Amino acid sequence: MPPETPAETPGQAPPPRHRQVGPTDRTGRAHEQDAWGAFGLVISGVCVWGGVGALVGAALDSRLPVMIGLLLGMSAGLYLVWFRYGRA
Amino acid sequence: MDHVLAVTEDGFQSPGPRDFEYPGLFGEGTFFTKPMLIIVLGSLLVAVFFYLASRRAARVPGKLQFAGESAYGFVRNSIALDAIGKEGMRYVPYLATLFFFIAVLNISGIVPLLQFPATSRIAIPLFLAVISCVIFNYIGIKRMGAGGYFKAMMFPAGIPWPVYILLAPIEFFSTIIVRPVTLCLRLTFNMFAGHLVLLLFILGGEYLVFDKGGVVGILAGSVSLFGSLILTFFEGFVQLLQAYVFTLLSALYIGGALADEH
Repeated sequence: MPPETPAETPGQAPPPRHRQVGPTDRTGRAHEQDAWGAFGLVISGVCVWGGVGALVGAALDSRLPVMIGLLLGMSAGLYLVWFRYGRA
Repeated sequence: MDHVLAVTEDGFQSPGPRDFEYPGLFGEGTFFTKPMLIIVLGSLLVAVFFYLASRRAARVPGKLQFAGESAYGFVRNSIALDAIGKEGMRYVPYLATLFFFIAVLNISGIVPLLQFPATSRIAIPLFLAVISCVIFNYIGIKRMGAGGYFKAMMFPAGIPWPVYILLAPIEFFSTIIVRPVTLCLRLTFNMFAGHLVLLLFILGGEYLVFDKGGVVGILAGSVSLFGSLILTFFEGFVQLLQAYVFTLLSALYIGGALADEH
């Protein structure tokens, strides 16, 4: 039979590196989401602000807002990745 | 150009997306298809297995009960407790159902005669991902209230306020849209690509050995068929792994919604 509770490491609490720290000990599993979380943030940044740029561009009949939106969204997404996961 | 086209028509038809479209099982135009059959069989298998395993729960478990408890214990210990913590116990039934449903539908891709991973049809992973998305958002809203939940999601502390205009939509989009979409696409296209590779190796090997023939054809075809054997085992591994990944990420999202996000 598997044990009732997961193996916990007493006396060795890792520093809270993450925004999302579980209500109880989370033995490293939280990190497995990080890669996809970072990917999702960059994609979201490009999609949201690139989309806004495309809408503005369609309204103004110009392609410049699309580019500005894409770059803005990408940098904002990367900033969020750093903010969420990069500050060790 | 005509020549090339003629050769393509007579020769090997490489597998493609059309191999994922099945006609009705009971003749042309009927709506019940092979993927649907696999879903019904898979659901029945999971339900019957766990019903029989838990029907006469004894203190000293029999073989079936032991198998059922081990399977359930795996989801409880290595997914729910590991990813969520003690509060995860409440969500073990959902996570176990999710894991075994996906695992069985995935494994149907290498079960003889069925040989089609039902999860490679996008509707199934999409619906499961939407269910997971609704659940973790519901948990978060129930825990912190709608305002508190969205505030914690969209306005992380420690950023000057004008930047929120730029960041809040991104956070919202990444949590509400990108999470379920990546859950869905990851599972779908792992199964899609795996099935395509198996089709290519098996059908290609068969074509080389039996239709093309000759020393080269038989040699190359044999290599391809042998490769398909190895890839079948590999595919079985990927299928279990993807069921695990889907369930683990659902659990992590639930854990994130349960956690105090600041």
